Amino acid sequence: MTDQIREQISALLDGELPKGEIGLLLRRMERDPGLRRSYESYVLAGEVLRSPGGIVASRGFSARVAAALEDGTSLPESAPVPLDRGSRRWLRPAAGVAVAAGAALAAVLLVRPDPDASARMAGQTQRTPSIRAVLPVGGASPTPEQNQRLAAYLVAHGQYATPIGRRAAWSNALATDPGITRVTIEIPEQR
Amino acid sequence: MRRVFALAVAGLVTAAASGAEGTSPEPRQWLERMTESLASLQYDGLFIHSAGPQFETMRIVHRTENGRSVERLVSLDGSGREIVRTAEEVHFYMPDRRVVLVEPRSDDGSLLKALPAPGPRLDALYTLELRPGHRLLGRDVRVMDIYPRDAYRYGYRLWLDEATAMPLRSEVLDGHGQAVESIHFTQLQVGDQVDPRQLQPAIDATGFQWIRAGGRAEPRPVAAGWLPRRIPPGFRLVGSRTQAVRGVPIPMQHLIFSDGFASVSVFIEPASEKGPVPPESTSVGSANTYSTQVQGHVVTAVGEVPPETVREIATSLAPVEADPGLTAGPGSPVDR
Repeated sequence: MTDQIREQISALLDGELPKGEIGLLLRRMERDPGLRRSYESYVLAGEVLRSPGGIVASRGFSARVAAALEDGTSLPESAPVPLDRGSRRWLRPAAGVAVAAGAALAAVLLVRPDPDASARMAGQTQRTPSIRAVLPVGGASPTPEQNQRLAAYLVAHGQYATPIGRRAAWSNALATDPGITRVTIEIPEQR
Repeated sequence: MRRVFALAVAGLVTAAASGAEGTSPEPRQWLERMTESLASLQYDGLFIHSAGPQFETMRIVHRTENGRSVERLVSLDGSGREIVRTAEEVHFYMPDRRVVLVEPRSDDGSLLKALPAPGPRLDALYTLELRPGHRLLGRDVRVMDIYPRDAYRYGYRLWLDEATAMPLRSEVLDGHGQAVESIHFTQLQVGDQVDPRQLQPAIDATGFQWIRAGGRAEPRPVAAGWLPRRIPPGFRLVGSRTQAVRGVPIPMQHLIFSDGFASVSVFIEPASEKGPVPPESTSVGSANTYSTQVQGHVVTAVGEVPPETVREIATSLAPVEADPGLTAGPGSPVDR
């Protein structure tokens, strides 16, 4: 991997890669497994460096760590600064108030397929989904991983919503556990 | 079925009358006051969040620090999850998973500038009505009805405090006028100095796994590599960002669409090597998601909009490279 690519990945993770280069780099990563592994090393290195109680790294340090991980060489000397550990808090227990009727019940999801409207809106022929199975109320709990992913989506989404939308998105992220109904949809073959 | 849904919405809209006429200034001013109050006032409240048969008690604490809004939202029932928005990051504590998800914080102002201000564009999508309401929490309220003009967005009913314009109660309404989600304050202290310690999480996160999403939170004005072919009327692509996620071999792309009131996020990430999975819908409260696979990627749309809307948006996305006809030119659903 060239220094230029390293710099591009580092800039991408810092949000500083020019927009014209983002698509190009992503497509290159899709084609190149080695580049994807390097990218993952960068992400891991950045995450470790930013974790609580970790160290504050100088600019570009994560790129050098990742490069060292890849190359198997020792880490370059740098100037990480210890965090102010006095700012860390270890806290009081959570308050718990039992409420909620039917917390184990899931909401029923309504899916209203309408091929005419779909085609009208899309202005082009689209494959129209049909419902394969509607999971019964009270069942269909998503896996913990699926639940975590959905909650993460809602948190990320809430940042870009209006204040009312954010409150709804984040309230739903807090409540995702019992309230999810999942529907799998079958796409009919077109041929 | 969908036609029935559309007719019901049409009935709701007819009740709002005015058709192509614009909304009078007063409801817009109340909407702006509410938005300003939510972002700038200090408050600490308990509310009941209900979605379908599920009820949950939550607490919100909000302050402004150096002109920035910081807040903590905590579930007092069940999972005990918390979301803390600091000046720099958003921390999502999931004690049930022993995980803390960390997102860089978005600057509130940058995206709001990209949203349409109340005016003709918003009037084409929603009708706003204001009327006196009964007292709530000992305060006089105004009730604002926000009627969607089509089936691609939800309606809202807001009970706004006369004095502060804070929403003391809010409902998200489907095409039949039924509440799909509501937030109802049972206690609310506004304007008092909120103790900053109340913004600290109650969870001891010792030993939790901290998962950080890398990359800058500020969305860029135009998408990186994906664009919608066509999306529901009124929605515009207002920003995009790339986000590093551990375990995902390529940065996830996050596109943000908005009609000025409702917003939809689309997350694009590489598909599993295990092979394609069928499209899937999920519903939690007013939030709906739709996931589908497009050219080796999983595209997931998430938003507080009807299921049809997230499906339309998710299925309209395509990589730019794969379709040179996709451009951000005039008339396209891209807001430059």
